[in-house]
Amino acid sequence: MTPSLAVMALVVLFPVLYAVYTSFQAYTRRQHEGFAGLANYQEVLGDSYFWDALWFTAVFTVTSVGAEFVIGLGFALIMNQGFRGRGVTRASILIPWVIPTVVAAQMWAFMFNVTPGFINSLFGLGDFNWLGQSGWATFAVVFADVWKTAPFAALLLLAGLQTIPAELYESARVDGAGPLQRFWHVTLPLLRPAILVALLFRTVEALRVYDLPQVMTGGAFGTESLSMAVRRYIVETPDPGLGSALSTLTFLIVLGVGVVFVSMIGKSVISEGSEER
Amino acid sequence: MKAREVRRSTAVLGALALVGLAGCTPGESSGGGDADGSGETEIVWAVGGARSQPGGANTRIADLWNEQNPDTPVRIEVLPEAADGAREQQALVLQAQGSEFDVLGLDVVWTGEYVENGWLASLEDVRPELEDDLLPGPLESASWGGELWGVPLNTNTGVLYYRTDLVDGPPQSWQEICDAGAIDGYHPYIGQGAKYEGFVVNWLELYWSAGGEIYNEDQSEVLFDPDLAAEVTTYMADALAGGCFAPGYNTAMEEESRNAFQQGDVVFMRNWPGPYALIEEDTESPAHGNTAVAPIPAFGDAGEGVAAIGGFNNAVSAFSEHPDLATEFIVWAATDMAAQEILAEDAVLPVLQAYYDEVPDDSLTAELGEILQSARPRPSVPQWSAISLAMQDALFPAYNGDADPAEAAQTVREFLDGTIER
Repeated sequence: MTPSLAVMALVVLFPVLYAVYTSFQAYTRRQHEGFAGLANYQEVLGDSYFWDALWFTAVFTVTSVGAEFVIGLGFALIMNQGFRGRGVTRASILIPWVIPTVVAAQMWAFMFNVTPGFINSLFGLGDFNWLGQSGWATFAVVFADVWKTAPFAALLLLAGLQTIPAELYESARVDGAGPLQRFWHVTLPLLRPAILVALLFRTVEALRVYDLPQVMTGGAFGTESLSMAVRRYIVETPDPGLGSALSTLTFLIVLGVGVVFVSMIGKSVISEGSEER
Repeated sequence: MKAREVRRSTAVLGALALVGLAGCTPGESSGGGDADGSGETEIVWAVGGARSQPGGANTRIADLWNEQNPDTPVRIEVLPEAADGAREQQALVLQAQGSEFDVLGLDVVWTGEYVENGWLASLEDVRPELEDDLLPGPLESASWGGELWGVPLNTNTGVLYYRTDLVDGPPQSWQEICDAGAIDGYHPYIGQGAKYEGFVVNWLELYWSAGGEIYNEDQSEVLFDPDLAAEVTTYMADALAGGCFAPGYNTAMEEESRNAFQQGDVVFMRNWPGPYALIEEDTESPAHGNTAVAPIPAFGDAGEGVAAIGGFNNAVSAFSEHPDLATEFIVWAATDMAAQEILAEDAVLPVLQAYYDEVPDDSLTAELGEILQSARPRPSVPQWSAISLAMQDALFPAYNGDADPAEAAQTVREFLDGTIER
């Protein structure tokens, strides 16, 4: 084994394997009690708490990644145009992404809060309780996430846009294609690898979201994510066996989604290569 | 990446890993004893929180002890500020039966867990000398299974703030809060209603004030009354939906409720005594100069309101090599007037009865001393953190109208039944 592989194994593989090992052990108040078999998994899968967290995580991932992709693509198309002040525009679009998540979360928690209620006074909404009711609490968390990470999606997509040769647009225009047709038949197909990479990054990150809902709602009103559930069992309750079973399941979900995306990226690269020949 | 770069980054990663590993191993162990050969016996006080930082009340208490006892000095081992982090570090040492820590600073609800794990030395022997001098509530918070396992250092209690320019006096019952606070342009009440431990404390104050109990005295039997719990939760649901509880109550923690009260559009607030000084300092606030503090009101016709106790206890590690000295120190910290006054200087409530006898009758401290007489701690059972989470999961949606209060109360009852080992 090369040294780099050894270090990777030590740093990456060990914690994962240790968590899997721990998930088969029984604990009472963090005191080890022996082998538990599949009991921890049974308990997690039979607990509505797990399914609620999974549901929120899924809703959060689909809505926030979807919105980030659409907005990010819009940003990228704007930034890809040649116009005066393009540098400033690019820089300002990236500002939200630079702010640490916890800071952004605290900021949006203040903004959505009833007291002092910046958003409510801005839009004349009175005492509307964004963070204090089901549905709207999820909306606020998703909103903050989109605000923060759409620029990141834009950055990845912009990099993809810039690899598309200008001649392709020229010849499309000569062939009489309008702006929509050029976007649909030139931009989107050639942007496919960049789109998949952006979706992969954002999806995996959204699946393990922790800090945003933790700071903004503390998990109230159905905004508890899988990572927050893991923390509950490992730090708060504490039952390392149960927590490890939960984190192993979370790991498998993230891994599964990642594998699907990576295989799609691989396919798209291969098909692109064959087209070029 | 070129081969040389790979080798270099591998070396860097390897070095980082080594640094990481080194960071995990405990530093120089100071298990006490005559380690440095100077004849001194050092007591290590493992305690977290802001007051253990340089200049904080705990360090000044240690300094005072060290002046009087140069041969047996106390050294503070500063643990993380957040309670979870401090508990984690203590647990690491205690699980390994390490003698590094002599005195453990404990949050009031940890006692049961530590005792059941065999981490604490019994202090039943010193109970007689404490019973006459200390406030009863804090002393109870250091007991488990009818035995004394800790000595309170400081205490804290829930109180009701009210606006003297808007109402004539403090309300006697929770229902009165909603009636008296219904003033045009004002919200009647704010407290800690967000989904966290603070909500459980607020809920328990209502439940206790309605005459409810969780366990019997030695925590061998569950006395949780689902009907009463449902009644209390229904009151909260109605008060929230009906506008008695200010909008934002269900997302408010200590700071958020203080902000709402200090902004001036709330008549009553449940909080700890700490915010009082902040409101007094804020001359811009409508509440400034118009705020007074009263006991938590009663629920229904049960008689008396009951406040929850917060605060901090000291315990002696079961693995300490100097248990007698450690005991002497923590008893001194609770009963020595000068030590307790250091806490009061930092706006922390002392546990020494004599301190409250000295202060003028009409002062805030005298009022708080009065409230503390009937205040009580959350049960310090080993499963408290799990119980608190179970109560949050069941009762929080119920008072927010997302679940049935009676079913939620039944869920809590069943969870509590499961905590009694048969």
